[in-house]
Amino acid sequence: MLHTNNKIEYNPENCVGCQLCYKACFIDVIRWDAEKKQPIFKYVDECAHCRYCQAMCKKGCINVIIDYSAQSWRQSFDMYR
Amino acid sequence: MGQEFKEVRESADILIVGGGIAGLVAAVSAKEKNPDASVIVVEKQVCGYGGKANKGGGVLQYFDLEHMKPEDFVEYHAHAVGCYLGDQETMKKYVAMNNEMIDRLEGWGVVIPKVKMPTGPMTFMFGIDLDSCIKMTAQCRKNGVKLFDKVTVSDLLTDNGKIAGAVGYSLLDGTFYVFQAKAVMLATGSQNYRVSEMWSNGRGDGIAAAYRAGAEMRNAEFGNFGQLFQKESFHECVFGENNMYNKLGENVTKNFRRFSESDISATAIREWYEQMSEGKGPIYLHIPKRGGAGGGGPMGDARPYGQAFWSLQNLGEEEMDQENEVVPGLVGEQSPIRVDGDMAASIPGLFAAGDSCYCGSGAPGAVPAPPGRNRGSGILNAVFAGIVGGESMAEFVKTAADVNVCEEQVAKLKADAYQPLNLEEGVTAVDVIDIVQEIMCPCENSIIMSQHRLDICLRKLEKAKALLGKIKANDFHEMLGAHEAEAMVLSCEMHLKAASMRHESRGWFLREDFPLMDNENWLKWIIVKNVDGEMTLTTEDVPIDKYPVKPLGPHS
Repeated sequence: MLHTNNKIEYNPENCVGCQLCYKACFIDVIRWDAEKKQPIFKYVDECAHCRYCQAMCKKGCINVIIDYSAQSWRQSFDMYR
Repeated sequence: MGQEFKEVRESADILIVGGGIAGLVAAVSAKEKNPDASVIVVEKQVCGYGGKANKGGGVLQYFDLEHMKPEDFVEYHAHAVGCYLGDQETMKKYVAMNNEMIDRLEGWGVVIPKVKMPTGPMTFMFGIDLDSCIKMTAQCRKNGVKLFDKVTVSDLLTDNGKIAGAVGYSLLDGTFYVFQAKAVMLATGSQNYRVSEMWSNGRGDGIAAAYRAGAEMRNAEFGNFGQLFQKESFHECVFGENNMYNKLGENVTKNFRRFSESDISATAIREWYEQMSEGKGPIYLHIPKRGGAGGGGPMGDARPYGQAFWSLQNLGEEEMDQENEVVPGLVGEQSPIRVDGDMAASIPGLFAAGDSCYCGSGAPGAVPAPPGRNRGSGILNAVFAGIVGGESMAEFVKTAADVNVCEEQVAKLKADAYQPLNLEEGVTAVDVIDIVQEIMCPCENSIIMSQHRLDICLRKLEKAKALLGKIKANDFHEMLGAHEAEAMVLSCEMHLKAASMRHESRGWFLREDFPLMDNENWLKWIIVKNVDGEMTLTTEDVPIDKYPVKPLGPHS
């Protein structure tokens, strides 16, 4: 998950500032803006699309959009075909 | 140093690095055993949410001890999984503690629906709900454990050959932390090279800190777990290797397996590689509807927290995978910190638990950290090591002398930690990890190896080593990334050198040029150690004479 191109859609309308999305991110992609009481999606280019933030959000504010084509297991498939 | 940072000093009897399931269980166990001991847990993300236990299948290994004895499993495991390289005494202790561990977890508030599903000749699995770490964090607070979030530990402190604590920094504001402690436990997870999604937080920084401090590593060459994933969606194919077909429509599973198994094996990856090499690929699965380890069925309904997570994992992916083509994906799981049966590492005062030391404990033998071959052993092994290690530390600190923090050492480790911030220009962590992944990800370098390819990889690794010290960071998040990249280079080097040394195939470890198990010459552990900055590799005989289960012949 190095050169991913995933996106995180965030709809602040229903956000209650519970911080669960921030806590859920186990690789520090999401930070917390204490003043606005909202998440900051600071390092999205590192998002490994585990979707734990999305699962945690009780208000449905988050949608992780996965770019499957950007991923690679780095197996040299073409070498064998 | 260009910038000055706030410094915080903390002192405790016990410092636990890592707030995943192993670290949290260790903290609670230490407090229960010795309530007077002060305990700190430091987590680089957020306690209760970091780690892997709340994002995996939530599968918990279960032994029905009313119908089997621990010795029975030890015998099966030594023959079929650990291939005589395992510490059979620690394995027996683990199995014998099964019911106690489950009872204690429930006592700490963890929800374990008792839906029993068979996974092997002697094992079942329970579904554990995925909020187990949140429950354990609450238990830590209740027991008076002090928790730090978003603080990463970069190095260990030593005092005359003993552990004296650790240093680290805040990911949020760069505050430098000095933790003085009589006992330090590394519960920092395994090395997963930032490849697959669920395991992408296993970056080996705790392993690297232990190595730099001079701790011994064991079984570093057994650290490459891989399994089949859907080519399009990257969804893991649990049980998929029972149904592999090549492009000619031939069932190729029967080439390496006589009957369906729930366990995973490197031989499936080898079969993929051989079929592809012979031009008979791609490989497809002939499977009915998808069913992940954690989703759907009775387990799903019984785990409301986990169900919310798993329901998202299948979204739209089944449509992508109409062809059902599969490819091997490297998960990693190198877990080499050497510990004894009490989870004590080779430096007095240093302990480890969970996936930082699973292979290093010697218990599993010739397999990577769980799932290794036995599904469901990951969380329960972490719980086992957490309880045993937590109680060991609780006893250790009762009699351990006070430790001194060496200010000169602190200053040096602080300079090392912030070095990436002070560079005017440099490369990125990703530049370095790219090289490591190019080496580690192809299954023919990490799972089905040959000396020819290992030599090429070692030469390629020199390119990454040449970049160490040149990784530039613009903030504290990138600073951590730089340290993680360095840890990946180290893990990769340990793998390549130890794999080059082991001239045989055993369990998960497969070499094309040495296809047989060699019990005459290789009932040995490879020990890796940093001696004055040089990586040294030595061997140590497995004490097979004192174990009840012995090899059947020279090659089996």
